[in-house]
Amino acid sequence: MGKELHRVSNPNRLWYLTLKNLKMMFRDRIQWLWLLGYPVIFILLFAFAFDPGVFNIMAPAAILIGPLVLISQLASHFAEEKESGAMRRLATTPVSRKTILISGMTAQLIIGAVQIVLLLVLSVVFGAKIDPGANIGLLFLIPFLSCFTSLGFGLLLASFIKTSSSAGALAWFIILPLQIIGGLTTSEPLIAGFPTSFAVDAMRKVMTYGLTSFDAIGLDLLGVVAWGLITTVVGIILFQRKTAIL
Amino acid sequence: MAETLAVETHDLKKYFGEIKAVDGIDLEISKGTLFGFLGPNGAGKTTTLSILSTMLPKTSGKVTILGFDIEKQANEIRKRIGICPQDLVMYPRLTARENVHLIAQMHGILRADYKERTDELLGQMNLLERANSLAKTFSGGMKRRLNVLMAVIHEPELLFLDEPSAGLDPQSRHVVWDFIKGFQKQNATIILTTHDMAEADDLSDELVIIDHGKIIEKGKPKDLKNRLGEGDIVEFKVAEIDLRDEIVERIKQLDFVKWAQVFGKQMIKLNALGGLKRISEIMDAVEVKMLDIGVHENTLEDVFIDLTGRELRE
Repeated sequence: MGKELHRVSNPNRLWYLTLKNLKMMFRDRIQWLWLLGYPVIFILLFAFAFDPGVFNIMAPAAILIGPLVLISQLASHFAEEKESGAMRRLATTPVSRKTILISGMTAQLIIGAVQIVLLLVLSVVFGAKIDPGANIGLLFLIPFLSCFTSLGFGLLLASFIKTSSSAGALAWFIILPLQIIGGLTTSEPLIAGFPTSFAVDAMRKVMTYGLTSFDAIGLDLLGVVAWGLITTVVGIILFQRKTAIL
Repeated sequence: MAETLAVETHDLKKYFGEIKAVDGIDLEISKGTLFGFLGPNGAGKTTTLSILSTMLPKTSGKVTILGFDIEKQANEIRKRIGICPQDLVMYPRLTARENVHLIAQMHGILRADYKERTDELLGQMNLLERANSLAKTFSGGMKRRLNVLMAVIHEPELLFLDEPSAGLDPQSRHVVWDFIKGFQKQNATIILTTHDMAEADDLSDELVIIDHGKIIEKGKPKDLKNRLGEGDIVEFKVAEIDLRDEIVERIKQLDFVKWAQVFGKQMIKLNALGGLKRISEIMDAVEVKMLDIGVHENTLEDVFIDLTGRELRE
Protein backbone atom coordinates (compact mmCIF):
# COMPACT_ATOMS: atom_id res chain seq x y z
CA MET A 1 0.00 0.00 0.00
CA GLY A 2 1.37 3.42 -0.84
CA LYS A 3 1.05 6.36 1.45
CA GLU A 4 -2.16 6.78 3.40
CA LEU A 5 -5.18 7.99 1.46
CA HIS A 6 -7.09 10.91 2.92
CA ARG A 7 -10.85 11.07 2.55
CA VAL A 8 -13.31 13.93 2.53
CA SER A 9 -16.38 13.46 4.70
CA ASN A 10 -18.94 14.63 2.17
CA PRO A 11 -17.64 14.24 -1.39
CA ASN A 12 -19.61 15.87 -4.21
CA ARG A 13 -20.49 12.62 -5.89
CA LEU A 14 -23.38 14.19 -7.83
CA TRP A 15 -21.02 16.61 -9.54
CA TYR A 16 -18.44 13.91 -10.36
CA LEU A 17 -21.07 11.63 -11.87
CA THR A 18 -22.70 14.47 -13.83
CA LEU A 19 -19.30 15.42 -15.21
CA LYS A 20 -18.66 11.80 -16.14
CA ASN A 21 -21.99 11.62 -17.98
CA LEU A 22 -21.31 14.86 -19.85
CA LYS A 23 -17.82 13.69 -20.86
CA MET A 24 -19.20 10.44 -22.18
CA MET A 25 -21.93 12.20 -24.17
CA PHE A 26 -19.48 14.76 -25.50
CA ARG A 27 -17.24 11.97 -26.82
CA ASP A 28 -20.04 10.24 -28.70
CA ARG A 29 -20.47 11.86 -32.12
CA ILE A 30 -23.61 9.88 -32.87
CA GLN A 31 -25.26 11.36 -29.79
CA TRP A 32 -24.31 14.86 -30.89
CA LEU A 33 -25.71 14.22 -34.34
CA TRP A 34 -28.93 12.96 -32.85
CA LEU A 35 -29.25 15.67 -30.16
CA LEU A 36 -28.74 18.55 -32.56
CA GLY A 37 -29.31 17.02 -35.98
CA TYR A 38 -32.90 15.90 -35.49
CA PRO A 39 -34.34 19.26 -34.29
CA VAL A 40 -32.13 21.25 -36.67
CA ILE A 41 -33.52 19.29 -39.62
CA PHE A 42 -37.01 20.50 -38.71
CA ILE A 43 -35.86 24.12 -38.38
CA LEU A 44 -34.25 23.93 -41.81
CA LEU A 45 -37.25 22.11 -43.27
CA PHE A 46 -39.72 24.64 -41.93
CA ALA A 47 -37.48 27.58 -42.88
CA PHE A 48 -37.10 26.51 -46.51
CA ALA A 49 -40.48 24.86 -47.08
CA PHE A 50 -42.74 27.55 -45.67
CA ASP A 51 -43.06 31.27 -46.29
CA PRO A 52 -41.83 33.53 -43.46
CA GLY A 53 -45.30 33.98 -41.97
CA VAL A 54 -45.81 30.23 -41.56
CA PHE A 55 -42.21 29.75 -40.36
CA ASN A 56 -42.94 32.21 -37.54
CA ILE A 57 -45.71 29.84 -36.41
CA MET A 58 -43.62 26.68 -36.86
CA ALA A 59 -40.29 27.83 -35.36
CA PRO A 60 -41.52 27.66 -31.73
CA ALA A 61 -42.62 24.06 -32.40
CA ALA A 62 -39.27 23.15 -33.94
CA ILE A 63 -37.49 24.44 -30.82
CA LEU A 64 -39.62 22.08 -28.70
CA ILE A 65 -38.49 19.09 -30.77
CA GLY A 66 -35.10 19.47 -29.07
CA PRO A 67 -36.28 18.47 -25.57
CA LEU A 68 -38.16 15.50 -27.05
CA VAL A 69 -34.88 13.93 -28.13
CA LEU A 70 -33.90 13.69 -24.46
CA ILE A 71 -36.42 10.84 -24.03
CA SER A 72 -34.25 8.61 -26.16
CA GLN A 73 -31.02 9.97 -24.71
CA LEU A 74 -31.88 9.38 -21.06
CA ALA A 75 -33.41 5.96 -21.70
CA SER A 76 -30.34 4.90 -23.69
CA HIS A 77 -27.99 6.28 -21.04
CA PHE A 78 -29.53 4.33 -18.17
CA ALA A 79 -30.09 1.22 -20.28
CA GLU A 80 -26.40 1.27 -21.20
CA GLU A 81 -25.42 1.66 -17.53
CA LYS A 82 -27.63 -1.27 -16.57
CA GLU A 83 -26.54 -3.40 -19.52
CA SER A 84 -22.81 -2.89 -18.99
CA GLY A 85 -22.99 -3.51 -15.23
CA ALA A 86 -21.69 0.01 -14.53
CA MET A 87 -24.72 0.80 -12.40
CA ARG A 88 -24.13 -2.31 -10.30
CA ARG A 89 -20.47 -1.45 -9.93
CA LEU A 90 -21.32 2.08 -8.82
CA ALA A 91 -23.93 0.71 -6.44
CA THR A 92 -21.20 -1.16 -4.57
CA THR A 93 -19.51 2.15 -3.74
CA PRO A 94 -20.92 4.51 -1.11
CA VAL A 95 -22.86 6.49 -3.77
CA SER A 96 -26.65 6.25 -3.47
CA ARG A 97 -28.93 5.18 -6.29
CA LYS A 98 -30.69 8.51 -5.93
CA THR A 99 -27.42 10.31 -6.73
CA ILE A 100 -26.78 8.06 -9.74
CA LEU A 101 -30.27 8.82 -10.98
CA ILE A 102 -30.13 12.58 -10.42
CA SER A 103 -26.68 12.81 -12.02
CA GLY A 104 -28.03 11.20 -15.19
CA MET A 105 -30.94 13.62 -15.26
CA THR A 106 -28.76 16.65 -14.48
CA ALA A 107 -26.43 15.88 -17.37
CA GLN A 108 -29.40 15.63 -19.73
CA LEU A 109 -30.84 18.91 -18.40
CA ILE A 110 -27.53 20.67 -19.05
CA ILE A 111 -27.48 19.26 -22.58
CA GLY A 112 -31.13 20.26 -22.97
CA ALA A 113 -30.41 23.84 -21.87
CA VAL A 114 -27.54 24.19 -24.36
CA GLN A 115 -29.70 22.65 -27.06
CA ILE A 116 -32.56 25.11 -26.42
CA VAL A 117 -30.28 28.14 -26.69
CA LEU A 118 -28.74 26.83 -29.92
CA LEU A 119 -32.13 26.09 -31.45
CA LEU A 120 -33.49 29.52 -30.47
CA VAL A 121 -30.49 31.23 -32.07
CA LEU A 122 -30.68 29.01 -35.15
CA SER A 123 -34.38 29.66 -35.69
CA VAL A 124 -33.74 33.41 -35.57
CA VAL A 125 -30.78 33.05 -37.94
CA PHE A 126 -33.06 31.30 -40.43
CA GLY A 127 -35.64 34.06 -40.29
CA ALA A 128 -38.01 33.42 -37.38
CA LYS A 129 -39.28 36.66 -35.85
CA ILE A 130 -39.48 37.02 -32.11
CA ASP A 131 -42.24 39.45 -31.15
CA PRO A 132 -40.73 42.58 -29.54
CA GLY A 133 -42.95 42.03 -26.51
CA ALA A 134 -41.75 38.48 -26.00
CA ASN A 135 -40.08 37.52 -22.71
CA ILE A 136 -36.78 35.84 -23.60
CA GLY A 137 -36.68 34.13 -20.22
CA LEU A 138 -40.00 32.44 -20.95
CA LEU A 139 -38.74 31.38 -24.37
CA PHE A 140 -36.04 29.45 -22.53
CA LEU A 141 -38.17 28.35 -19.58
CA ILE A 142 -41.00 26.70 -21.54
CA PRO A 143 -38.81 24.25 -23.49
CA PHE A 144 -36.66 23.74 -20.39
CA LEU A 145 -39.73 22.70 -18.39
CA SER A 146 -40.60 20.37 -21.26
CA CYS A 147 -37.24 18.68 -20.68
CA PHE A 148 -38.57 17.36 -17.37
CA THR A 149 -41.48 15.66 -19.12
CA SER A 150 -39.00 14.07 -21.52
CA LEU A 151 -36.77 12.92 -18.68
CA GLY A 152 -39.79 11.38 -16.97
CA PHE A 153 -40.72 9.45 -20.11
CA GLY A 154 -37.07 8.50 -20.54
CA LEU A 155 -36.96 7.05 -17.02
CA LEU A 156 -40.19 5.15 -17.61
CA LEU A 157 -38.65 3.59 -20.70
CA ALA A 158 -35.36 2.88 -18.93
CA SER A 159 -37.24 1.06 -16.17
CA PHE A 160 -38.51 -1.62 -18.50
CA ILE A 161 -35.96 -2.01 -21.27
CA LYS A 162 -32.73 -3.95 -20.99
CA THR A 163 -30.55 -2.71 -23.83
CA SER A 164 -29.56 0.72 -25.05
CA SER A 165 -30.37 -0.19 -28.65
CA SER A 166 -33.95 -1.10 -27.77
CA ALA A 167 -34.21 2.16 -25.81
CA GLY A 168 -33.43 4.15 -28.93
CA ALA A 169 -35.98 2.25 -30.99
CA LEU A 170 -38.79 2.22 -28.44
CA ALA A 171 -38.35 5.91 -27.68
CA TRP A 172 -39.90 6.63 -31.09
CA PHE A 173 -43.20 5.22 -29.85
CA ILE A 174 -43.26 8.14 -27.42
CA ILE A 175 -41.46 10.82 -29.41
CA LEU A 176 -43.55 10.61 -32.58
CA PRO A 177 -47.02 10.81 -30.95
CA LEU A 178 -45.85 13.68 -28.76
CA GLN A 179 -44.40 15.42 -31.80
CA ILE A 180 -47.27 14.87 -34.23
CA ILE A 181 -50.34 14.88 -31.99
CA GLY A 182 -48.92 17.61 -29.79
CA GLY A 183 -48.72 19.94 -32.80
CA LEU A 184 -44.97 20.22 -33.33
CA THR A 185 -45.32 19.59 -37.06
CA THR A 186 -48.65 21.36 -37.58
CA SER A 187 -49.93 24.88 -37.01
CA GLU A 188 -51.84 23.79 -33.92
CA PRO A 189 -52.06 20.70 -31.65
CA LEU A 190 -54.19 17.84 -32.97
CA ILE A 191 -55.30 16.97 -29.43
CA ALA A 192 -55.32 19.30 -26.44
CA GLY A 193 -53.93 18.17 -23.11
CA PHE A 194 -50.75 16.51 -24.40
CA PRO A 195 -47.55 17.76 -22.73
CA THR A 196 -46.33 19.08 -26.08
CA SER A 197 -49.76 20.66 -26.78
CA PHE A 198 -49.43 22.82 -23.67
CA ALA A 199 -45.81 23.68 -24.46
CA VAL A 200 -46.29 24.59 -28.11
CA ASP A 201 -49.32 26.76 -27.32
CA ALA A 202 -47.31 28.63 -24.70
CA MET A 203 -44.27 29.01 -26.97
CA ARG A 204 -46.33 30.38 -29.85
CA LYS A 205 -48.15 32.84 -27.61
CA VAL A 206 -44.84 34.13 -26.23
CA MET A 207 -42.57 33.99 -29.28
CA THR A 208 -44.97 34.81 -32.11
CA TYR A 209 -47.53 37.03 -30.39
CA GLY A 210 -45.53 38.48 -27.49
CA LEU A 211 -48.08 37.44 -24.84
CA THR A 212 -46.64 37.07 -21.37
CA SER A 213 -49.53 37.52 -18.92
CA PHE A 214 -50.66 34.70 -16.68
CA ASP A 215 -54.14 34.89 -18.24
CA ALA A 216 -52.63 34.18 -21.63
CA ILE A 217 -50.12 31.45 -20.85
CA GLY A 218 -50.76 30.48 -17.21
CA LEU A 219 -52.86 27.40 -17.99
CA ASP A 220 -50.38 26.19 -20.60
CA LEU A 221 -47.46 26.62 -18.21
CA LEU A 222 -49.32 24.75 -15.48
CA GLY A 223 -49.98 21.95 -17.97
CA VAL A 224 -46.28 21.74 -18.85
CA VAL A 225 -45.26 21.77 -15.16
CA ALA A 226 -47.90 19.19 -14.21
CA TRP A 227 -46.82 16.78 -16.96
CA GLY A 228 -43.19 17.31 -16.01
CA LEU A 229 -43.86 16.61 -12.35
CA ILE A 230 -46.06 13.56 -12.89
CA THR A 231 -43.85 11.82 -15.44
CA THR A 232 -40.65 12.58 -13.51
CA VAL A 233 -42.01 11.35 -10.17
CA VAL A 234 -43.55 8.20 -11.68
CA GLY A 235 -40.36 7.63 -13.70
CA ILE A 236 -38.13 7.95 -10.63
CA ILE A 237 -40.30 5.62 -8.53
CA LEU A 238 -40.47 2.95 -11.23
CA PHE A 239 -36.78 3.22 -12.07
CA GLN A 240 -35.79 2.96 -8.41
CA ARG A 241 -37.92 -0.16 -8.02
CA LYS A 242 -36.63 -1.81 -11.16
CA THR A 243 -32.98 -1.20 -10.33
CA ALA A 244 -33.16 -1.98 -6.61
CA ILE A 245 -30.15 -3.90 -5.33
CA LEU A 246 -30.81 -4.18 -1.61
CA MET B 1 -13.01 -14.00 17.66
CA ALA B 2 -15.43 -12.12 15.43
CA GLU B 3 -13.07 -9.12 15.26
CA THR B 4 -10.45 -11.23 13.54
CA LEU B 5 -12.93 -12.38 10.91
CA ALA B 6 -13.43 -10.49 7.67
CA VAL B 7 -16.34 -12.67 6.58
CA GLU B 8 -18.66 -14.88 8.56
CA THR B 9 -21.68 -16.66 7.11
CA HIS B 10 -24.05 -19.13 8.64
CA ASP B 11 -26.36 -21.33 6.57
CA LEU B 12 -26.29 -18.86 3.68
CA LYS B 13 -28.84 -19.68 1.00
CA LYS B 14 -29.84 -18.12 -2.29
CA TYR B 15 -32.62 -19.63 -4.36
CA PHE B 16 -33.77 -18.51 -7.79
CA GLY B 17 -37.16 -20.17 -7.90
CA GLU B 18 -36.46 -23.90 -7.82
CA ILE B 19 -32.74 -23.45 -8.41
CA LYS B 20 -30.58 -23.62 -5.30
CA ALA B 21 -27.66 -21.42 -6.36
CA VAL B 22 -26.23 -21.26 -2.84
CA ASP B 23 -27.36 -23.98 -0.51
CA GLY B 24 -26.35 -23.54 3.10
CA ILE B 25 -22.83 -22.17 3.10
CA ASP B 26 -20.94 -21.67 6.38
CA LEU B 27 -17.76 -19.62 6.15
CA GLU B 28 -15.24 -18.05 8.47
CA ILE B 29 -12.58 -16.04 6.65
CA SER B 30 -9.87 -14.45 8.77
CA LYS B 31 -8.65 -10.94 8.10
CA GLY B 32 -5.54 -10.79 5.92
CA THR B 33 -6.32 -14.07 4.18
CA LEU B 34 -6.39 -14.64 0.44
CA PHE B 35 -9.36 -16.95 0.27
CA GLY B 36 -10.32 -18.83 -2.87
CA PHE B 37 -13.60 -20.20 -4.12
CA LEU B 38 -12.84 -22.95 -6.60
CA GLY B 39 -15.51 -24.68 -8.60
CA PRO B 40 -16.89 -25.26 -12.07
CA ASN B 41 -19.06 -22.75 -13.91
CA GLY B 42 -22.50 -22.58 -12.33
CA ALA B 43 -21.27 -23.93 -8.98
CA GLY B 44 -22.50 -20.86 -7.07
CA LYS B 45 -19.19 -18.97 -6.71
CA THR B 46 -20.28 -15.71 -8.30
CA THR B 47 -23.66 -15.80 -6.57
CA THR B 48 -21.95 -16.22 -3.20
CA LEU B 49 -19.55 -13.40 -3.97
CA SER B 50 -22.41 -11.17 -5.13
CA ILE B 51 -24.18 -11.70 -1.81
CA LEU B 52 -21.05 -11.09 0.25
CA SER B 53 -20.33 -7.89 -1.67
CA THR B 54 -23.89 -6.53 -1.07
CA MET B 55 -24.82 -6.79 -4.75
CA LEU B 56 -27.44 -9.49 -4.33
CA PRO B 57 -29.91 -10.11 -1.49
CA LYS B 58 -29.74 -13.53 0.15
CA THR B 59 -32.73 -15.83 0.56
CA SER B 60 -31.82 -16.76 4.13
CA GLY B 61 -28.92 -17.18 6.53
CA LYS B 62 -26.68 -14.78 8.38
CA VAL B 63 -23.82 -12.78 6.85
CA THR B 64 -21.38 -10.50 8.63
CA ILE B 65 -18.76 -8.59 6.67
CA LEU B 66 -15.96 -6.84 8.57
CA GLY B 67 -18.18 -6.95 11.63
CA PHE B 68 -21.18 -5.35 9.89
CA ASP B 69 -24.50 -7.05 9.29
CA ILE B 70 -25.09 -7.27 5.54
CA GLU B 71 -28.77 -6.43 5.73
CA LYS B 72 -28.67 -3.58 8.21
CA GLN B 73 -25.28 -2.02 7.46
CA ALA B 74 -24.73 -2.45 3.74
CA ASN B 75 -23.54 1.14 3.33
CA GLU B 76 -20.85 0.69 5.97
CA ILE B 77 -19.69 -2.43 4.15
CA ARG B 78 -19.60 -0.65 0.79
CA LYS B 79 -17.24 1.97 2.18
CA ARG B 80 -14.74 -0.75 3.01
CA ILE B 81 -14.87 -3.18 0.12
CA GLY B 82 -13.66 -3.26 -3.46
CA ILE B 83 -15.16 -5.39 -6.21
CA CYS B 84 -13.67 -6.61 -9.43
CA PRO B 85 -16.57 -8.15 -11.31
CA GLN B 86 -16.17 -11.07 -13.70
CA ASP B 87 -17.43 -8.91 -16.59
CA LEU B 88 -15.27 -6.03 -17.76
CA VAL B 89 -17.21 -3.20 -16.18
CA MET B 90 -15.86 0.23 -17.04
CA TYR B 91 -16.90 3.29 -18.98
CA PRO B 92 -15.73 2.83 -22.58
CA ARG B 93 -15.77 6.53 -23.38
CA LEU B 94 -13.67 7.48 -20.35
CA THR B 95 -9.90 7.13 -20.30
CA ALA B 96 -8.22 4.55 -18.07
CA ARG B 97 -7.21 7.32 -15.69
CA GLU B 98 -10.72 8.80 -15.62
CA ASN B 99 -12.26 5.39 -14.92
CA VAL B 100 -10.02 4.86 -11.91
CA HIS B 101 -10.47 8.45 -10.71
CA LEU B 102 -14.25 8.07 -10.78
CA ILE B 103 -14.22 5.15 -8.33
CA ALA B 104 -11.83 7.08 -6.06
CA GLN B 105 -14.16 10.08 -6.18
CA MET B 106 -17.13 7.91 -5.22
CA HIS B 107 -15.13 6.79 -2.17
CA GLY B 108 -14.33 10.38 -1.24
CA ILE B 109 -10.56 10.14 -1.66
CA LEU B 110 -8.79 13.51 -1.80
CA ARG B 111 -7.89 14.59 -5.33
CA ALA B 112 -4.15 14.89 -4.70
CA ASP B 113 -4.08 11.42 -3.14
CA TYR B 114 -6.05 9.61 -5.82
CA LYS B 115 -4.17 11.25 -8.67
CA GLU B 116 -0.83 10.04 -7.30
CA ARG B 117 -2.18 6.62 -6.37
CA THR B 118 -3.84 6.11 -9.76
CA ASP B 119 -0.61 6.66 -11.65
CA GLU B 120 1.23 4.38 -9.24
CA LEU B 121 -1.30 1.59 -9.85
CA LEU B 122 -1.43 2.13 -13.62
CA GLY B 123 2.35 1.75 -13.61
CA GLN B 124 2.19 -1.49 -11.64
CA MET B 125 -0.24 -2.91 -14.18
CA ASN B 126 1.78 -1.70 -17.19
CA LEU B 127 -0.99 0.68 -18.22
CA LEU B 128 0.62 4.06 -17.52
CA GLU B 129 1.53 4.69 -21.15
CA ARG B 130 -2.12 4.28 -22.12
CA ALA B 131 -3.52 6.16 -19.12
CA ASN B 132 -5.11 8.83 -21.32
CA SER B 133 -6.55 6.43 -23.91
CA LEU B 134 -10.25 5.71 -23.93
CA ALA B 135 -11.03 2.35 -22.36
CA LYS B 136 -12.90 1.27 -25.49
CA THR B 137 -9.60 1.24 -27.38
CA PHE B 138 -8.03 -1.26 -24.95
CA SER B 139 -7.39 -4.92 -25.65
CA GLY B 140 -9.18 -7.54 -23.54
CA GLY B 141 -6.10 -8.02 -21.36
CA MET B 142 -5.71 -4.30 -20.73
CA LYS B 143 -9.38 -4.00 -19.83
CA ARG B 144 -9.04 -6.92 -17.43
CA ARG B 145 -6.12 -5.20 -15.68
CA LEU B 146 -8.01 -1.90 -15.54
CA ASN B 147 -11.00 -3.79 -14.11
CA VAL B 148 -8.81 -4.93 -11.22
CA LEU B 149 -7.35 -1.44 -10.65
CA MET B 150 -10.80 0.08 -10.33
CA ALA B 151 -11.46 -2.30 -7.45
CA VAL B 152 -8.39 -1.32 -5.42
CA ILE B 153 -7.89 2.43 -5.95
CA HIS B 154 -9.50 3.23 -2.59
CA GLU B 155 -7.44 0.57 -0.79
CA PRO B 156 -10.33 -1.53 0.48
CA GLU B 157 -10.05 -3.64 3.60
CA LEU B 158 -11.79 -6.47 1.77
CA LEU B 159 -11.36 -7.09 -1.93
CA PHE B 160 -13.61 -9.35 -4.02
CA LEU B 161 -12.11 -10.67 -7.24
CA ASP B 162 -14.44 -12.61 -9.49
CA GLU B 163 -12.40 -14.60 -12.02
CA PRO B 164 -9.81 -11.78 -12.19
CA SER B 165 -7.60 -13.32 -14.84
CA ALA B 166 -10.25 -14.94 -17.05
CA GLY B 167 -9.23 -14.87 -20.68
CA LEU B 168 -5.79 -13.38 -20.04
CA ASP B 169 -2.64 -14.46 -21.83
CA PRO B 170 0.01 -16.05 -19.54
CA GLN B 171 2.10 -12.88 -19.32
CA SER B 172 -0.82 -10.63 -18.33
CA ARG B 173 -2.05 -13.31 -15.97
CA HIS B 174 1.19 -13.22 -14.01
CA VAL B 175 1.09 -9.41 -13.90
CA VAL B 176 -2.38 -9.66 -12.33
CA TRP B 177 -1.32 -12.45 -9.95
CA ASP B 178 1.74 -10.51 -8.79
CA PHE B 179 -0.44 -7.47 -8.27
CA ILE B 180 -2.94 -9.45 -6.19
CA LYS B 181 -0.17 -10.95 -4.06
CA GLY B 182 1.33 -7.50 -3.55
CA PHE B 183 -2.02 -6.10 -2.51
CA GLN B 184 -2.52 -8.88 0.02
CA LYS B 185 0.81 -8.09 1.64
CA GLN B 186 -0.69 -4.75 2.65
CA ASN B 187 -2.92 -6.62 5.15
CA ALA B 188 -5.97 -6.66 2.90
CA THR B 189 -8.35 -9.62 2.89
CA ILE B 190 -8.98 -10.94 -0.60
CA ILE B 191 -11.75 -13.24 -1.74
CA LEU B 192 -11.15 -14.79 -5.10
CA THR B 193 -13.46 -16.90 -7.22
CA THR B 194 -11.99 -18.96 -10.00
CA HIS B 195 -12.40 -22.14 -11.97
CA ASP B 196 -8.72 -22.02 -12.79
CA MET B 197 -7.02 -24.52 -10.49
CA ALA B 198 -3.57 -23.02 -11.08
CA GLU B 199 -4.85 -19.60 -10.03
CA ALA B 200 -6.52 -21.01 -6.92
CA ASP B 201 -3.42 -23.04 -6.07
CA ASP B 202 -0.93 -20.26 -6.67
CA LEU B 203 -2.81 -17.44 -4.94
CA SER B 204 -4.97 -18.87 -2.16
CA ASP B 205 -3.93 -19.24 1.47
CA GLU B 206 -7.11 -21.18 2.03
CA LEU B 207 -9.90 -22.22 -0.26
CA VAL B 208 -13.22 -23.94 -0.51
CA ILE B 209 -14.23 -26.22 -3.33
CA ILE B 210 -17.81 -25.47 -4.19
CA ASP B 211 -20.23 -27.44 -6.33
CA HIS B 212 -24.01 -27.22 -6.76
CA GLY B 213 -24.12 -24.37 -4.24
CA LYS B 214 -22.48 -26.37 -1.45
CA ILE B 215 -18.98 -26.42 -0.01
CA ILE B 216 -17.65 -29.89 -0.62
CA GLU B 217 -14.17 -29.36 0.81
CA LYS B 218 -12.17 -26.64 2.50
CA GLY B 219 -8.59 -26.15 3.58
CA LYS B 220 -5.16 -25.03 2.45
CA PRO B 221 -4.34 -25.96 -1.16
CA LYS B 222 -1.42 -28.13 -0.05
CA ASP B 223 -3.52 -30.00 2.52
CA LEU B 224 -6.27 -30.58 -0.02
CA LYS B 225 -3.81 -32.03 -2.50
CA ASN B 226 -2.24 -34.19 0.17
CA ARG B 227 -5.57 -35.89 0.78
CA LEU B 228 -4.81 -37.75 -2.45
CA GLY B 229 -1.42 -38.82 -1.17
CA GLU B 230 1.95 -37.44 -2.08
CA GLY B 231 2.45 -39.39 -5.28
CA ASP B 232 1.96 -38.34 -8.86
CA ILE B 233 -0.99 -38.58 -11.16
CA VAL B 234 -0.57 -40.82 -14.16
CA GLU B 235 -2.84 -40.48 -17.18
CA PHE B 236 -3.20 -43.10 -19.89
CA LYS B 237 -4.92 -42.78 -23.21
CA VAL B 238 -6.06 -46.09 -24.59
CA ALA B 239 -7.30 -47.12 -28.00
CA GLU B 240 -9.82 -49.77 -26.92
CA ILE B 241 -12.58 -47.65 -25.44
CA ASP B 242 -14.81 -50.64 -24.66
CA LEU B 243 -12.24 -52.08 -22.27
CA ARG B 244 -11.68 -48.94 -20.18
CA ASP B 245 -13.94 -49.98 -17.30
CA GLU B 246 -12.38 -53.38 -17.05
CA ILE B 247 -8.88 -51.87 -16.95
CA VAL B 248 -9.86 -49.41 -14.25
CA GLU B 249 -11.36 -52.18 -12.13
CA ARG B 250 -8.17 -54.21 -12.42
CA ILE B 251 -5.95 -51.22 -11.65
CA LYS B 252 -8.02 -50.39 -8.57
CA GLN B 253 -7.06 -53.79 -7.17
CA LEU B 254 -3.40 -52.75 -7.03
CA ASP B 255 -2.36 -51.86 -3.49
CA PHE B 256 -0.32 -48.79 -4.49
CA VAL B 257 -3.20 -47.16 -6.42
CA LYS B 258 -5.48 -44.98 -4.36
CA TRP B 259 -8.03 -44.31 -7.07
CA ALA B 260 -8.56 -44.76 -10.76
CA GLN B 261 -11.24 -43.31 -12.93
CA VAL B 262 -12.32 -43.10 -16.55
CA PHE B 263 -12.49 -39.75 -18.34
CA GLY B 264 -13.24 -40.03 -22.01
CA LYS B 265 -10.33 -42.07 -23.30
CA GLN B 266 -8.24 -41.34 -20.19
CA MET B 267 -7.72 -43.20 -17.00
CA ILE B 268 -6.28 -41.36 -14.06
CA LYS B 269 -4.36 -43.11 -11.34
CA LEU B 270 -2.58 -41.94 -8.26
CA ASN B 271 0.84 -42.75 -6.92
CA ALA B 272 1.26 -45.23 -9.68
CA LEU B 273 4.58 -44.14 -11.03
CA GLY B 274 6.48 -46.77 -9.13
CA GLY B 275 4.11 -49.40 -10.41
CA LEU B 276 4.03 -48.60 -14.10
CA LYS B 277 5.36 -52.04 -14.92
CA ARG B 278 2.44 -53.73 -13.16
CA ILE B 279 -0.07 -51.47 -14.92
CA SER B 280 1.58 -52.20 -18.23
CA GLU B 281 1.19 -55.90 -17.55
CA ILE B 282 -2.53 -55.40 -16.94
CA MET B 283 -2.82 -53.56 -20.24
CA ASP B 284 -1.09 -56.43 -21.99
CA ALA B 285 -3.30 -58.97 -20.25
CA VAL B 286 -6.49 -57.34 -21.59
CA GLU B 287 -4.80 -56.58 -24.91
CA VAL B 288 -5.14 -52.84 -24.72
CA LYS B 289 -2.92 -50.51 -26.70
CA MET B 290 -1.66 -47.43 -24.84
CA LEU B 291 -1.79 -44.31 -27.07
CA ASP B 292 -0.27 -41.86 -24.66
CA ILE B 293 0.99 -41.62 -21.12
CA GLY B 294 1.47 -38.54 -18.94
CA VAL B 295 2.65 -37.90 -15.39
CA HIS B 296 2.02 -34.79 -13.32
CA GLU B 297 1.92 -33.71 -9.69
CA ASN B 298 -1.33 -33.62 -7.76
CA THR B 299 -3.47 -30.62 -8.64
CA LEU B 300 -6.63 -29.16 -7.19
CA GLU B 301 -8.40 -30.44 -10.28
CA ASP B 302 -7.49 -33.98 -9.19
CA VAL B 303 -8.93 -33.17 -5.78
CA PHE B 304 -12.13 -32.00 -7.45
CA ILE B 305 -12.26 -35.17 -9.55
CA ASP B 306 -11.73 -37.27 -6.46
CA LEU B 307 -14.55 -35.45 -4.66
CA THR B 308 -17.11 -35.26 -7.44
CA GLY B 309 -16.15 -37.91 -9.98
CA ARG B 310 -15.95 -35.35 -12.76
CA GLU B 311 -13.63 -32.72 -14.15
CA LEU B 312 -13.79 -29.01 -13.23
CA ARG B 313 -14.57 -27.96 -16.77
CA GLU B 314 -17.47 -30.33 -17.29
